[in-house]
Amino acid sequence: MGAKAGVGALALVLLAVLVFLAVSSWSRQPAVAKPSSQPINFPHSVHVQTYRIDCQYCHSDARRSEYAGLPSVERCMGCHKIAGAALPEVKKVADYYARSEPIPWVRVNKLPEFTYFPHKAHIRANVKCQTCHGPVETMTTFGAETGPRLTNDLLNLVGLRPAPPPLTMGWCVDCHRRQNATAGMHAPLDCVTCHH
Amino acid sequence: MMNRRDFFRVVAASGATAAVTGCQRTAENILPLVVPNEHIVPGVAAWFATVCRECPAGCGVIARNREGRVVKLEGNPDHPVNQGALCARGQAALQGLYHPDRFAGPRLRDGAALKPVNWDAAQKVVADKIAALRSAGKGSAIALVTQLETGSLGAFLDTWTRALGTRPRLSFEPFGYEANRAANRITFGRDAIPYYAFEDARVVVSFGADFLETWLSNVNYARAFAHMHTFRDGRAGTYLHIEPRQSLTASNADEWVRNAPGSEGPLALAILKVMVDEGLADRRFGEAVARIDVKKVAADSGVPVETITRVARAFADGKPSLAIGGGMAVTGSNATQTLVAVNLLNAAAGNVGKTVRFGPDSAFGRVTPYAETARLVQAMARGEVEVLVLGSGVNPAYTLPGGLKFADAAKRVGLVVSFANQPDETTALAHVVLPDTHWLESWGDYSPREGVAGLMQPTMAPARDARPMGDTLLALGRAVLGSEAGKGPLPWATFEQYLKAAWEPSVKGAWASALRLGGVWKETAPVAVTARVAPVDPAPPTFEGTADGLALLAYPSFRFYDGRGASRAWLQEAPDTMTQAVWDPWVEIAAETAAKLGIARGDVVRVTSPHGAIELPAYVSPTLHPQAVAVPIGHRYAPYHIPRYVTAPLGPRNPVALLGPAAEGASGGPAYLGVRVTLAKTGARHPLAILQATHDQEGRELAQHVDLRAAREQALRGRQDHEAHTSMYPDPRYPGYRWGMAIDVDACIGCQACVVACQAENNVPVVGRAQAAYGRQLQWIRIERWAEGKPDRPTNLFLPMLCQHCEVAPCEPVCPVFAAYRTEEGLNGQVYNRCVGTRYCGNNCPYHVRRFNWFQYEFPAPLDVQLNPDVTVRQLGVMEKCTMCLQRIIAGKDHARDERRAVKDGDILTACQQTCPTRAITFGNLKDEQSAVVKFAHSPRAYHVLEEIGTRPSITYLQKVVREHA
Repeated sequence: MGAKAGVGALALVLLAVLVFLAVSSWSRQPAVAKPSSQPINFPHSVHVQTYRIDCQYCHSDARRSEYAGLPSVERCMGCHKIAGAALPEVKKVADYYARSEPIPWVRVNKLPEFTYFPHKAHIRANVKCQTCHGPVETMTTFGAETGPRLTNDLLNLVGLRPAPPPLTMGWCVDCHRRQNATAGMHAPLDCVTCHH
Repeated sequence: MMNRRDFFRVVAASGATAAVTGCQRTAENILPLVVPNEHIVPGVAAWFATVCRECPAGCGVIARNREGRVVKLEGNPDHPVNQGALCARGQAALQGLYHPDRFAGPRLRDGAALKPVNWDAAQKVVADKIAALRSAGKGSAIALVTQLETGSLGAFLDTWTRALGTRPRLSFEPFGYEANRAANRITFGRDAIPYYAFEDARVVVSFGADFLETWLSNVNYARAFAHMHTFRDGRAGTYLHIEPRQSLTASNADEWVRNAPGSEGPLALAILKVMVDEGLADRRFGEAVARIDVKKVAADSGVPVETITRVARAFADGKPSLAIGGGMAVTGSNATQTLVAVNLLNAAAGNVGKTVRFGPDSAFGRVTPYAETARLVQAMARGEVEVLVLGSGVNPAYTLPGGLKFADAAKRVGLVVSFANQPDETTALAHVVLPDTHWLESWGDYSPREGVAGLMQPTMAPARDARPMGDTLLALGRAVLGSEAGKGPLPWATFEQYLKAAWEPSVKGAWASALRLGGVWKETAPVAVTARVAPVDPAPPTFEGTADGLALLAYPSFRFYDGRGASRAWLQEAPDTMTQAVWDPWVEIAAETAAKLGIARGDVVRVTSPHGAIELPAYVSPTLHPQAVAVPIGHRYAPYHIPRYVTAPLGPRNPVALLGPAAEGASGGPAYLGVRVTLAKTGARHPLAILQATHDQEGRELAQHVDLRAAREQALRGRQDHEAHTSMYPDPRYPGYRWGMAIDVDACIGCQACVVACQAENNVPVVGRAQAAYGRQLQWIRIERWAEGKPDRPTNLFLPMLCQHCEVAPCEPVCPVFAAYRTEEGLNGQVYNRCVGTRYCGNNCPYHVRRFNWFQYEFPAPLDVQLNPDVTVRQLGVMEKCTMCLQRIIAGKDHARDERRAVKDGDILTACQQTCPTRAITFGNLKDEQSAVVKFAHSPRAYHVLEEIGTRPSITYLQKVVREHA
């Protein structure tokens, strides 16, 4: 009887945990959109790991602006006029450039609109891009594995996958607190720093 | 254990099933630029200098461009006219740029409607007509009327009229100050309007000149006036104002003298007479006033002899002093003689060359006198004009006196062409509309006075399909002349090319730096003048209308100018400071008259003159002269205001429609003071939306004042320490900065510039008349007017009221969700995404500065483009209030960090502080003992509003300094 009750209680606790996780992952603002097919199959892994291109070579506004920025089509073509010009995905870039059209990238990271996140201040504080965006250098399709979705939460729970940065407020605040406590930083903790 | 945040999460989840379907996110695209613009980094503001063209004052402006769209205007600190400040009208220019009613492309009349056409078709209609008239030798049947254009555009337009052989261009300004010019011609032999150096005067006497509202250059003169009048280190100048109505300018005077309408001239002469009699002025001025009987003037004007004597002595004592006149409301048939008398006062007191400086003459000297415009209208009525071309910024159907019957005359013109970029009373009569670009989208230049040449550049791409007037006229002219670009009398491809060629000799390759600075400034050599002393005719003005009627004071609204500002909803909702009314116009009726006719506030009254009748709700005034009735000029609505913000007015409400056509003989200017009107109750009621219920402080001492003598003594003895209030909460500590503000009530003139600047900076929505009447306006700062003393001669105190950022804030402990809280830097924070809208904080705020979003307010397109991307747009059910421009604080700290230093005093300016013409607002770090804000906080005049309740505000006010006799 004792064992049975124990299993029942455990099942109940597990169920409660699952229900709670489901609820909590629903109610968290999804900071990351669904992995969608991008107009061009752009592999970060090739650019970062194979060719050793710095993140800020393409996302060059990160150090001077609130936004990290996307490379202009012209910047893509700066290399791809020659490099890999024969590849089918690169040809798509050249086509956009020839038509003077922006590439309609699908947004992956998004914070709610009442949140102000300045990239500049974080770059100045030497925060690595990966701290928030995850191991982008390993990704062939960016954002496919991150996000506070139920599957991710479950996989994290059983330890099958390292926790991806959820980009939620608690996660931000934890990091700020940790930096202040351990690294002697002055990361702001006022609500209105990000919500104004 | 469940913490508070999880609790909310679970509570929120209980509604999950209903909400799940609405939670799907659609994919969002982010588009990179194809070729980047090297001047624009997304997320970083770019600033462009240009010149404000909302009125002819020509203040310098810098426009803040974010991601290719202008989101905020500020005064150009390098510009000599406004020195960084901007008035409410300048701040609201953005709403003209992004006006929802702006024409998207040319229009051609088709019956009653204006139909969209393409540029070629519209231009062909005009070019064909002009070409036909030219070949028939009827060039004089073509007329061009523009607003005052002093720079290259004016010169270009004159080239154009000569090339096409049309009538000479008219520079039309409804407020043209013709009488000031005529008087200067008579007294000083100079047909010009000088620079008035308020900053150097010790005593200023204004004969109805509303220099803090619209007169000549209101921001320039407000800044200079503050320099002269605001109490600093024991010194303060004196300002006396003579006018039948207590205008906003009058209520800033140390003494307001109420005179009978039209009696300014005789009063000026009586003052001169007293000066001569008492030996305070040269004997030779006795000749001018030989026939003046001071007692008779006193009896006629209703101003006691003692007052005249006191003003005369104060004025003579000034050394230098300054007398000014020529406000539109007091410009009658005797205006030139009145201003000659004012000139003689300046000459007698030795002010000419000191505070009255010829040389840096005002651009107003180049306005075509009204009489010329009237002659054109008469020619139109006779059928002598077949093409009438109207530049942007002119709206003669609204601004010309009703007696001139412009609309009837325009109907006899075969082709009326307008360059207006939004519909108005004149485009309603136009056959072709060729929308001009807004001045923020245009190349150009403007010289508001000699020595100041402001440059204009496009601060963004046109928001609507519009073309610069210069470009359109070039295309038209070449089509008419059959010439090609590069050849003939109009060779320039664009007006931009003309402008650059015109500037090349003066900038000599330094074009870019002139553009960055906003123009080129030079010292102008003073021109010496001598006064001709001759007797002045002290005749009162003549009036049309029944002898027992009341003199109509039609005065320019400081919010709408001649009506061109009225299409901006921000200005409609910034209250008129004296009445605190929003949206609706009113007729101001003296209390005596109202009692006699049984009129109460809000009764609709018919105001009838020999030239027409208007119906307006009444505002009963205890201060207005009983022989006068006053109506502000410029109240009109834009199409998109109706029915969104107001209901359509039932009839005409423009006081200018009541005026006669006659020009003042000596100057050829219009006579705004020229009709007597009768009043009749219609029986209808239209309550005004008035934002302040009472002007009586009931002893609460919200706005405080101190006697000049006492202020001087305090300044010498230093501050007596106030008793510190004890609090039940632990004293907060501030690890870094502590932000605070000081507001000098002595400097505030009640001009509403801060109110509009804040609205522009902080994405504050417009609520409309009905909601404002409920007290649901959303502005984060307001100017309260508090009247002290006798009800008919009150001393008005203007108190800018905004969130006080209390150290012990009553709003914070009552918030159930911690949305209102104290930040580490001493601000009272409001977290919109936490706020659930209980409104407890608003109810507990003793300053009534918290604002609630009762609705989901809209920003009608394309006004939404103006929204500041650094500030959240609040939604329904959220409480909001002044943040002390937190986004600017963050930007200031960010900038300082880039330079590896702390924020310095003056690094961060709040929007209200930045635009304030009188520098009444100071912001800074209260922990920095050297900062300006701390120095003000330690002033003997410093106090906190409602100090006794122990809220410990971060905003310190400085008492107004009143003069002994006031």
